[in-house]
Amino acid sequence: MPGELESRRSFIKKGLVGAALLATGGGVWLGTRSTQPDPALKGPFQVLTPAEATVILAIADRLVPPRRGFPRPLEVEVPRKVDAIAAMAHPAVQHELRQLLGLFESPLTGLTLDGLAGTFSGASPEAQDRRLHAWATSRIAVRRTGFRALKKLVYAAYYASPETWTAVGYPGPPTGARR
Amino acid sequence: MAESWRANGPGRILTGADITRDYEERADACVIGSGAGGAMMAARLADMGARVVLLEEGGLYTRNDFDMQEATAYPHLYQEKGQRATADLAITVLQGRCVGGGTTVNWTTSYRTPDQVLEHWRIVHGVEGLDPATLAPHFEAVEQRLNIREWPVAQANANNRVLWDGCGKLGWQRAATRRNVEGCANLGYCGMGCPIDARRSMDVTCVPDAVKKGAHLYANARAVRIDLHRKRASLVHAEVLDPATDRPKGHTVLVKPKVVVLCGGAVNSPALLLRSGLDFNGRIGKRTFLHPVVASVAAFRQRIDGFYGAPQSVASHQFVDRGPGKVGFFMETAPVHPMLAATAAGGFGAGHQEVMARLGHVSALIALAVDGFLPGDEGGTVSLRKDGRVRLDYRLRPQHWEALREGNKALARVQLAAGAETVWSLHEDPVELRSEADLAKLDAAPWRPVRVGLFTAHQMGGCAMGKDPDKSVVSARLKHHQVDNLFVADGSVFPTSLGVNPQETIFALAHWAAGHIGHNLR
Repeated sequence: MPGELESRRSFIKKGLVGAALLATGGGVWLGTRSTQPDPALKGPFQVLTPAEATVILAIADRLVPPRRGFPRPLEVEVPRKVDAIAAMAHPAVQHELRQLLGLFESPLTGLTLDGLAGTFSGASPEAQDRRLHAWATSRIAVRRTGFRALKKLVYAAYYASPETWTAVGYPGPPTGARR
Repeated sequence: MAESWRANGPGRILTGADITRDYEERADACVIGSGAGGAMMAARLADMGARVVLLEEGGLYTRNDFDMQEATAYPHLYQEKGQRATADLAITVLQGRCVGGGTTVNWTTSYRTPDQVLEHWRIVHGVEGLDPATLAPHFEAVEQRLNIREWPVAQANANNRVLWDGCGKLGWQRAATRRNVEGCANLGYCGMGCPIDARRSMDVTCVPDAVKKGAHLYANARAVRIDLHRKRASLVHAEVLDPATDRPKGHTVLVKPKVVVLCGGAVNSPALLLRSGLDFNGRIGKRTFLHPVVASVAAFRQRIDGFYGAPQSVASHQFVDRGPGKVGFFMETAPVHPMLAATAAGGFGAGHQEVMARLGHVSALIALAVDGFLPGDEGGTVSLRKDGRVRLDYRLRPQHWEALREGNKALARVQLAAGAETVWSLHEDPVELRSEADLAKLDAAPWRPVRVGLFTAHQMGGCAMGKDPDKSVVSARLKHHQVDNLFVADGSVFPTSLGVNPQETIFALAHWAAGHIGHNLR
């Protein structure tokens, strides 16, 4: 995996680049300028731009890959639900999330950190999985943190949706429990 | 002043929805926070005749609000909409935020403080006077009021059975836990608020007790500052939040108290003292302990249905004392609802989905590291960010990682002994185990921050009790060392973690401290 095999010098350089990108807040500006917003997305969104919601959907499509019985993330409106979770958060957290999405999507971060050219949302499923895994297991702590944030948001939005419960064998809350 | 004593008017509950103007109150006691410490304190002080104002930042919910849906429960009932974590997101923080605090959403497990913990506090931290004999009548009182009783193993759900059976096969200590419930229907939704009021949590016990005795409860009222005047807490400022948006409505509640009892819990109590400039020795927010939790999930051939049934009813303290230089751990269980399980499970994509697809067959066990006892184990730190938000940092030391790794191995062994087909760790590259021969894989896994999912449901410390005013925040009587009429009565005063679930210790401490705090009000 990228990060594990590279030379110390290159790691330090990439680490500094990554840290600098996070520190300068370049993510929002860099991030989604070349993203093609998914026309199937149902807005309006409260916090995210259509491009940022597209990145969320692209991530969700790999976190929950196609499998019999599992609804697609778009069907359960994962981008809208992530946006709703973000809307409840402190403005500073909203800004951090948008910055993170930009960094994750950006062709520049992809190239410098993962050697993957192009945006995340425009990449092949295999390349997307590689970038997700690279962030999840990165030697750079802030990237692991970033992956953790995105993963928790997407899975919370998806699996809290009753439409997904049949797939996981959860019958839902007991009915008639109340007095 | 004498005429106000025992001259309480009727009690009152106002929420952010009701409040359309500013309020000013004079009170004998302003209690901040309505959780295990605050509600118990408010009920006792009100019963002694004190005029109590109880401020709660979270909302007021009743059983009809508890819809057993993760999508509504976590944003409404937990800190930071269920998103609280350490700053690096290495440790997910489950912490209540509503009337009743953590007691409204915890998993009901109730233990008296272990004698050896009180002894450690006395010897190492100079906490004199808090011995088992002193606390015993207070434990008895809260056990009676909250119906704390053993939950029979015969009623344990299959997930708790895994812990029971696995420990039995391995010859390890195991015991049924005690729970604060009455008429529990074994639904399994404790973490989302009890929909049938069976849990004897503060929102249905001590909060109404206090209000019946004249206390004024303000919900959605967030204490933002305590003013100091001549070494006394002179004024408590609270901002009123709109329950729908959780944003300030522009109204305030000002309380002019004789005494302030801070019961915001670890994390929020130290944060309020920091915001108020009441840190005179740099000790506020230090020594924050979390019982850092590692979890193990396992798939069984038979159904486990870990989303149903009392979430915690069996525990093992086999490894709570692992000898000198080692961090101990204890083992319990966790409910297996889809959102909680999905955000906890390791990895992503098809592997993660495979675990989720078998959720009805999944057992989830947890090992809780007992932090704060080794020399030099200073725990985490609560501080304030530039924008005023609270920040929690917790750096796990090598001894903690060792305990979490061994804890994970012990959990896997329990699950395998109980008949698990496959066991997974919560690493981002999940370790998969099918037999004891695979345990070595856990040794080889990366035990580093944010490579493995970790949790805390027990936040302790940050306003540590102690004799030395330079090294602690409150005295062994829970009084702030430098402020004459300010007490802290919640989990933040623990100088270490506990090695058991904390709620009953907090109940008893508040019950005990109310005696001398109330006496001095007369």
